Amino acid sequence: MRTYILKRLLYAIPTIFGITVLIFGIMRILPGDPLGAYYGIETIIQWTPEQKAAILRDLGLDKPIAVQYAVWVKDIASGKLGESFFRGDPIIEIMAQRGPISAQIGIISVVISWIIGLPVGIISAVRPNSVWDMSTSFFTVLFLAIPGFWLGLLVVVASISWFQYKAPIVSVQFWEDPWTNFQIIVGPAIVLGLGQAAFIARMARSSLFEVLREDYVRTSRAKGLIERLVIARHAMPNALLPVLTLSGVLLGFVMGGSVAVEQAFTVPGLGKALVVAAIDRDFNVVQNIVLFYAVIFVLVNLLIDMLYGWLDPRIRLN
Amino acid sequence: MSMDSVAARGSVSSNVRRYGVNLRGFVRRSPFAAVWGLIGLILILMALGAPLISPQDPLKANFTKISAPPDSESYFGTDQIGRDLLSRILYGARISLFVALASVLIGTTIGGVWGLVSGYLGGLTDMISQRFVEIIMALPGLILAFALVLVLGAGMWTIILAIAVTRVPFGARIIRSVALTVKETAYVEAARGIGASQTRIMARHIAPQCVAPFLILFTVHLGTVIVIEASLSFLGLGVSPPTPTWGGMLGEASALLYPLWWHVFFPGVFITITVLAFNLFGDGLRDALDPRLRGTLE
Repeated sequence: MRTYILKRLLYAIPTIFGITVLIFGIMRILPGDPLGAYYGIETIIQWTPEQKAAILRDLGLDKPIAVQYAVWVKDIASGKLGESFFRGDPIIEIMAQRGPISAQIGIISVVISWIIGLPVGIISAVRPNSVWDMSTSFFTVLFLAIPGFWLGLLVVVASISWFQYKAPIVSVQFWEDPWTNFQIIVGPAIVLGLGQAAFIARMARSSLFEVLREDYVRTSRAKGLIERLVIARHAMPNALLPVLTLSGVLLGFVMGGSVAVEQAFTVPGLGKALVVAAIDRDFNVVQNIVLFYAVIFVLVNLLIDMLYGWLDPRIRLN
Repeated sequence: MSMDSVAARGSVSSNVRRYGVNLRGFVRRSPFAAVWGLIGLILILMALGAPLISPQDPLKANFTKISAPPDSESYFGTDQIGRDLLSRILYGARISLFVALASVLIGTTIGGVWGLVSGYLGGLTDMISQRFVEIIMALPGLILAFALVLVLGAGMWTIILAIAVTRVPFGARIIRSVALTVKETAYVEAARGIGASQTRIMARHIAPQCVAPFLILFTVHLGTVIVIEASLSFLGLGVSPPTPTWGGMLGEASALLYPLWWHVFFPGVFITITVLAFNLFGDGLRDALDPRLRGTLE
């Protein structure tokens, strides 16, 4: 078990290192001129070479690529993350302000997806081809196809036209004003939760459906155990493992989806910050937020791998 | 990993023959998937025929009819500068479907060839290339595509390229696992025994076994990619206006202070139906060609 955890941890290090190289490569080596995009080509043409050099020096873009990369890694390691190119805000502050809102949305959406998806999947697996199974699988298939940001827009439009209500567009943390904070995050959390719930329900159904046909489940029935215990004690633990893994994979779906869903609800989260930075061509902000997403994704999946190792006796006892 | 345990693929190519070519067999076995396949086909025809069937010019603004609700003249209503929404949706289908088809084709092909070579050669090549696949997969698809389009500049081909990159790891992983099992079979060993070159073995003996998983991957990912393209356009990184795209129409609507329901409803319905069609057709195709790939593709 200890070697398993250690091995997983060691695997994560080169992955995260590779991610920094990949992101930096995308942001700096590919064609595209951040100055041109921000100031406009007409303005840039009028600059003297000295002016241009001074601005590049200010932004740290005059150094060789390798040095720029090293500076960035140093910034990450020291926890500063550097500054926004054009607004001059420290990026760490942007993240500290926006991050908690997105994290709340993400976590609540995962909880919602389990609360809805698991029971739906379990009942369907226990009563395959029943009316319940048919109707839930209809909704599952439907919610797998509906883009979250569209559902979000529909909710926004409906609440405006029916209730003349729009969630406040302010950045408020839970500890500052819980009620306003709740109004900001509830919409995106439900929309993202429903999207994931469809995946969870489908996986829970197929996984439990298969486990219920295993020999050991037949044995437990044969020895006279009541059905509820057969499912809860014997079948569920094994059936839940793949669902847990799926939830980790879905985190990527939530993070990507949240960017568009936050935009639909105009929630001032991290995704919205990414979009604003993208419009400004503020590569420094973009690259740090993208890295942040990737690192969270890798770490959560690492955590799930470890949880898996602890829950699965085949790995735990080795 | 469940993919690596996909064993004994001897019957796969015969499945292609049995169902792939035999359309009637496919329709009889999975009528539901066939119906959705037909709907997908109709959507593609609709996109191709947009200039013929759309009732009005999708770009022509009509300032006497701004944000008009659906009526007998414009069935889906008009947008904030009076353009006919139905016509814009029909033309928008061209971009959405073309971007989706092209990007999945390019991404899955590159990934497939990569996975085939990596799985067949094995050893250090395989290990390094798998680490690389993992790194790409650590970035959520939409965010990776977002960063790429941002840097490359929004244009149809840069969007196609960016989305294609996000599909490469899937092709690389699935096709690799196929190559891994096929290369252990006796007939590949026999080919090696009579002195066939590495390239010949890969092209003539392993690649044919990858056709079915490739087709399934291609179809199953179309739906995902439609949503990625729509999200990018929605976020303002799509094919630039005034060219209509489904996501772009939703983006324009959401920028309004008071978006109206028909601005938002109809483009999204088309996105959803398209995704449904590709997903359900893909599921049917997978069950017909190779049910063992169930649950390993996304």
